[in-house]
Amino acid sequence: MSEIHGAVGSYVVNALDGDEREEFEAHLAVCPTCTREVQEFCETAAELSLLASATPPPAALRSSILSAISEVRPLPPELLPPELLPPEQSAEIAPAQPSPPPAAERAPADHPIDELALRRQQRRTRILSVLVAAVVAAALALGGVVYGLVQARQSQVAQQAAETELLTAPDVKTYTATMKDGGQVSFVVSRSLNRAMFVGKGLPAVGADRTYQLWTLEGQRPIPDNTVPGGGDRKEFFRETLGGVTGLAVSVEAAGGAKQPNPSTIQVITELAA
Amino acid sequence: MNGSSLPPDSEGGEPSGSAVRFGASRGRDTGFSSGRETGAAQLVELITLCSRGHEEAFAELYDRTSQRVYGIILRVLRSPDHAAEVMQEVYVEVWRQSARYSRDKGSVIAWMTTMAHRRAVDRVRSVSSEVARDERYAFHGGDREIDQVWDGVEQRLDVERVRRGMASLTPIQREALTLAYFGGYTQSQVAQLLKLPLGTVKTRIRDGLIGLRDALGVEA
Repeated sequence: MSEIHGAVGSYVVNALDGDEREEFEAHLAVCPTCTREVQEFCETAAELSLLASATPPPAALRSSILSAISEVRPLPPELLPPELLPPEQSAEIAPAQPSPPPAAERAPADHPIDELALRRQQRRTRILSVLVAAVVAAALALGGVVYGLVQARQSQVAQQAAETELLTAPDVKTYTATMKDGGQVSFVVSRSLNRAMFVGKGLPAVGADRTYQLWTLEGQRPIPDNTVPGGGDRKEFFRETLGGVTGLAVSVEAAGGAKQPNPSTIQVITELAA
Repeated sequence: MNGSSLPPDSEGGEPSGSAVRFGASRGRDTGFSSGRETGAAQLVELITLCSRGHEEAFAELYDRTSQRVYGIILRVLRSPDHAAEVMQEVYVEVWRQSARYSRDKGSVIAWMTTMAHRRAVDRVRSVSSEVARDERYAFHGGDREIDQVWDGVEQRLDVERVRRGMASLTPIQREALTLAYFGGYTQSQVAQLLKLPLGTVKTRIRDGLIGLRDALGVEA
């Protein structure tokens, strides 16, 4: 017992390896003296951390963390149901320890939930980056317009949420094509959200009296959708939802748009996967 | 919101029960507030607000603590990339666990630095290439660890105080504690680095903490 007690310092500075740590935590659960000492040493170690020169973290980290926590719900104050508690914590609760476990102890006790949420968070981040990477890769010809969308999230608050939602939808797909007039387009599509977005890069100018027009296709039937001015990089959500929609198309029409596409002005037709 | 009226850059290092050992005249550029007790109490207030979902309070908590937390993470990990990842893990956890913090468990800053240090060390151990690093340090390591700690120290009163506390330890206590805490080494690795028996190292680390605790007068 006295030998394990001697590990309290190593425990606080995290100098125990996995087995030693486990062993010590088992001891800690039944040793109020060690528990008190751990708590004191944690305060001492916190002071010791002052010797690591205070370093401002990168500014980008701050916004990344702030946006990360906005998607995380703080845990309720209650403890977990008993069956989810790791054994050492149950053991500690049962004999009604006089002092609550100090900071260092709660870490292992809370580990399962921490890790779960953390993994969920990491998975979400990973999914987001994979999706963004996929979208960016698919839209490589677009010279980063879609990437720009992601980047622009912070400034364009209004459309931002919708774009982010679309880009991070679990089933998001990107269809890339070159229009007859040379313009590069991508359609970013999510069946689960029922939304599609048009992303154009380097669209030729079509003149003040003409406009690009988006279409949704239900089989052979084209339904007029939003218009997009020519010239430069553009993005626009389709107004229509995707129920029954089998394809997306773009044409050039007279300003104001048309009810029916003129076959000669169709720029691109893309069939969507079901 | 309450939190936003707090002065910037203050950081509590102790629970409110601690004696105030320094006057209130330290400058803000130290990164630590003039009133340690006040600073600590404010952090408690901020963490309480966090537990109720106040993101602004979290932002302020971040601003008040991030230099110190990042400092220790970076010190242990050395790699800014790893440090940024662990930093994010730690602060997301602080947010999630904010309702689980309670004052009788110690100061907020100790709670946070404990979590940060542990996760940083866990990261060191989980990165397998670090094993090779550890072995390299076994040959040229020890003194460098210590030098870097001392070199990086700014002339701040808080730091001075801790530094003096460290200086009051025996060289072996100091080295063992430094290698373990800042180096992220296990006690067995420290024993090998210092060419001492494991039991001795264990005792030195604990004695070092006791000596430092007494020198600092920290009351848990």
